[in-house]
Amino acid sequence: MAFIELKDITFAYDEGENVLSGFNLLIEEGECVFVRGDNGSGKSTLFRILTGISYPASGIYKFDGEEINKKYLKDNRNSKLFHKRVGYLFQNPDIMLFSNTVFDDVAFGPRQIGLGDKEVLARTEDILKTFDIEELRDKAPYHLSGGQKKKVALAAVFALNPEVILLDEPLAGLDKKGRGWLVEFLKEVKSSGKTLIIATHSDEIEAELDGRVCEL
Amino acid sequence: MIPDWMNEKDTYVPPKKGGAYLYKTMRSMGLIMSRITIQTGSEGKINIPAKWKIIVLLLSIIAISVTNNKTVLLFFAAATLLIIALKPPEVINRIVKNAFASGIIASIFLLPAFVTNPVGRMNNLLVLIKVMLSISLVSIFNHSTQWNHITRGLRCLHVPTVFVFILDITLKYIYVLGNFINEMLTAHVMRAVGKNKDKYGSIGGIMGVTFIRGNELNKAMYEAMVCRGFTDDYKGL
Repeated sequence: MAFIELKDITFAYDEGENVLSGFNLLIEEGECVFVRGDNGSGKSTLFRILTGISYPASGIYKFDGEEINKKYLKDNRNSKLFHKRVGYLFQNPDIMLFSNTVFDDVAFGPRQIGLGDKEVLARTEDILKTFDIEELRDKAPYHLSGGQKKKVALAAVFALNPEVILLDEPLAGLDKKGRGWLVEFLKEVKSSGKTLIIATHSDEIEAELDGRVCEL
Repeated sequence: MIPDWMNEKDTYVPPKKGGAYLYKTMRSMGLIMSRITIQTGSEGKINIPAKWKIIVLLLSIIAISVTNNKTVLLFFAAATLLIIALKPPEVINRIVKNAFASGIIASIFLLPAFVTNPVGRMNNLLVLIKVMLSISLVSIFNHSTQWNHITRGLRCLHVPTVFVFILDITLKYIYVLGNFINEMLTAHVMRAVGKNKDKYGSIGGIMGVTFIRGNELNKAMYEAMVCRGFTDDYKGL
């Protein structure tokens, strides 16, 4: 049984054409999958389904053996556990940052999962150090540059230590140095056994990470 | 490079409670706002200039407000029903919903007077009818006129440029900001995997960022307009 299983998925926005039609995808735990496709081909829609934000009109989505649907996620506990296990970096980092400081934004996740103050502090500082954004810790996220916002948003996702990480255009907005660093970081994340699903137009990341391509 | 705890799986058992009433409310608000679609006014085959529609609408609302003559009210009610009946079913549904919603709100305000002053009940009923008729007319106008034509109509009626400009931008950005709030809440829910001890702080943050975003969008659009020759004299489309 695959870790993530999408079977005959069909999805359409209000009375429009099907964005996804009879779509199938199997992903094993620890695998890296690149989702590619033209603009409007359904990459973001696929991510919304995989993260439980949107539900397919028909078809089955299974995550670690559980069928993920409206009924399953309506249960508060299931929803929280599912979102703890599946992290999502949105294409636009602006929508992910809402706290007064970078530190608070990154610490939001660890605080949510009931870690003690010391653990929250340690985990947040670890992540800030890993992402090389320690000097930004007391800055307001909305005053940062696009690349810095992207790094903070990524840090916020990884601070929850999810098992599956969906990244929508993770290299967009980063400079050459930032892109190189992120690719190296993702290599390590992959070798730690986490499942990566990446929507990208960049060959740079595909060449470096050993993964499978899913064309939409 | 990656911290040690990232090499291990967290053993996390989420709390049963801690679902957020406020998040749900704000999420609903975001959805409602994102549903406000701009430029949906279907003008039909007979194209009446927006300025005439605005004049007729204003005169009708004034006439409905000041009249005590039931025949005049009946005339407006009949005319309104006739216009509504000519609309597509989904538009009729929305107009009737708006009218009844306004009727319910007006009833709540009028209830004390209705209970305490039995003599004036007929007048209270008239006020209720006037409110519902006025809202129906505004809804009809809204569903039969495009936003850009409304702003052009207002310019033709010599409404100050600044007012028209602010109205135009506001109408357009309600939609954009509604979507933005919705997306922010979605991103928030994705990370709200436990009990949020600072619920109001998070909501305040979302509202603050939305306000800043609104300001940024406004500024960016103004600058883009200046780059395309805008000289503070707003002419509409």
